[in-house]
Amino acid sequence: MMTLDTLLSQFGAEHKCLKTACELVTVRELRERSARLRKNLIQAQGSCVVLCVQSPLTLIEALVALDGFSRAIFLLPYGLDSDIEQRLIEAAQCDYRLEDKGNLTPLRAQLTSTELNRLPTQWLMATSGTTGVPKIVAHTFDSLTRTMKRDTSCGSSYTWGLMYDPSRFAGLQVVLQSLIGGSCLAVPSSLVFEVQVTALLKQQVNALSATPSLWRKLLMDGRVFDLTMTQITLGGESVDQSLLDGLRHKFPAARITHIYASTEAGAAFAVNDCLAGFPAKWLNSAAAPVPLRINDYGHLLIKPAVLAQGVEIQSRLDASGYLDTQDMVRQLDDRVFFLGRASGAINVGGNKVHPEEVENLIREIPEVLDVCVFGKSNSLMGQLVAAELVIADGTDPKVLRPKIYGHCRAKLEAWQCPAFVTVVDQLQETVAGKRERIN
Amino acid sequence: MEKHILETMNSVAEMTGSELVAELNEDTVLLESGLDSLGFAILVARLEEELGYDPFTLMEQPVYPRVLGDLFKIYKQFASPEK
Repeated sequence: MMTLDTLLSQFGAEHKCLKTACELVTVRELRERSARLRKNLIQAQGSCVVLCVQSPLTLIEALVALDGFSRAIFLLPYGLDSDIEQRLIEAAQCDYRLEDKGNLTPLRAQLTSTELNRLPTQWLMATSGTTGVPKIVAHTFDSLTRTMKRDTSCGSSYTWGLMYDPSRFAGLQVVLQSLIGGSCLAVPSSLVFEVQVTALLKQQVNALSATPSLWRKLLMDGRVFDLTMTQITLGGESVDQSLLDGLRHKFPAARITHIYASTEAGAAFAVNDCLAGFPAKWLNSAAAPVPLRINDYGHLLIKPAVLAQGVEIQSRLDASGYLDTQDMVRQLDDRVFFLGRASGAINVGGNKVHPEEVENLIREIPEVLDVCVFGKSNSLMGQLVAAELVIADGTDPKVLRPKIYGHCRAKLEAWQCPAFVTVVDQLQETVAGKRERIN
Repeated sequence: MEKHILETMNSVAEMTGSELVAELNEDTVLLESGLDSLGFAILVARLEEELGYDPFTLMEQPVYPRVLGDLFKIYKQFASPEK
């Protein structure tokens, strides 16, 4: 059975797999630390352990220690409301809680005797849930890493940065891809934006994965322009052409990849041609990276090679095993574009507006650095479209506003155009790094 | 109040690219004023931001203003503290 630890054992003991502000960690050191941790956790063998750690380094050590050793590992995302945390821990049937300093606390009065773990350890994760309560999905080391690149000749040239919470799907992908590909991962001491950016610069990161919202924030911040990037990865939200163009301009030597992935279906496909959306020829075609279809409601359906387990996921599968992604798409000539989440549409008097579509259009205006479109409740229409903007220094909002209205009116239906445009200093992201839409 | 509503109507018309009829008065039929139902919804939302209330969420029985005079009346009615 392949575990994270056995995978690491395949690398040279002195291969430097992690970097922090004060040390370089070799594969040997990482495995030794994890082995020590495992000894302290002997009573948790064969049980389910929830990881409540804030240090990304401690989290990685715990994953190496527990994969193949405990029955299940629950990666509790950072920054959840304590009520939700409690509910998730109960739903995942956790036996122990592991904290930053290696403290292990039993969570139940009656614990089953520790048994040798014979099945692959389940990696329990919470979906990002931009709306509503997160749900738990179960992966294994194999299902998480099946589509990852194992070409270490290429991977060894990368130093990956970490902009995501490694307890969430996107962050865990970065951690595992970096370890499997033989790269070095620059581990920040915390998930605060300032600390993360400082770590990127100090560790001279040349590969970085982040949401489009975070990439826009990095471009506005500007400090990352000093880095020579060779791999730029975007995921978690739909990617617009303006951002892809902006990244290509600032990092001409980088390969730019946008990944379509979800906690439920894993990484489904990657697009590398610097164009938004994906090629329409992938639809209903054996040539596609995964089988893809569009249903009658305009939802993208995919049939991934491996699927996480869970009741909620089963209910979203159709008779031929396709998963309804709940992502709305539209085909325009030879390209399929993402419009936004099916549940995220704004309803203006019965007409659906996809916030991402309006945002992408507004971003075409050069003075607009970033934008968030959301629904604002209205007594007559149900909702109206509202936009918050971050604009370039020296731009007069009074001049910009009519320009935005005019640009939207020329390209959109009247009900899709923002009725409210507010200029703000900065926009908010959710803990998963996705744009927060305050409805 | 009348002046405030008329000014906001003009601003909404400008934003939505609509043209208001030349002479707006109390008898102007709202849906013939140049603002369509969407424009009218935006007007109500704008007035709520500026005046701090939306009469259409406060009324117990729904009333649909037909002419501009009805609209003035509704806003005045709910502006009073004993509404």
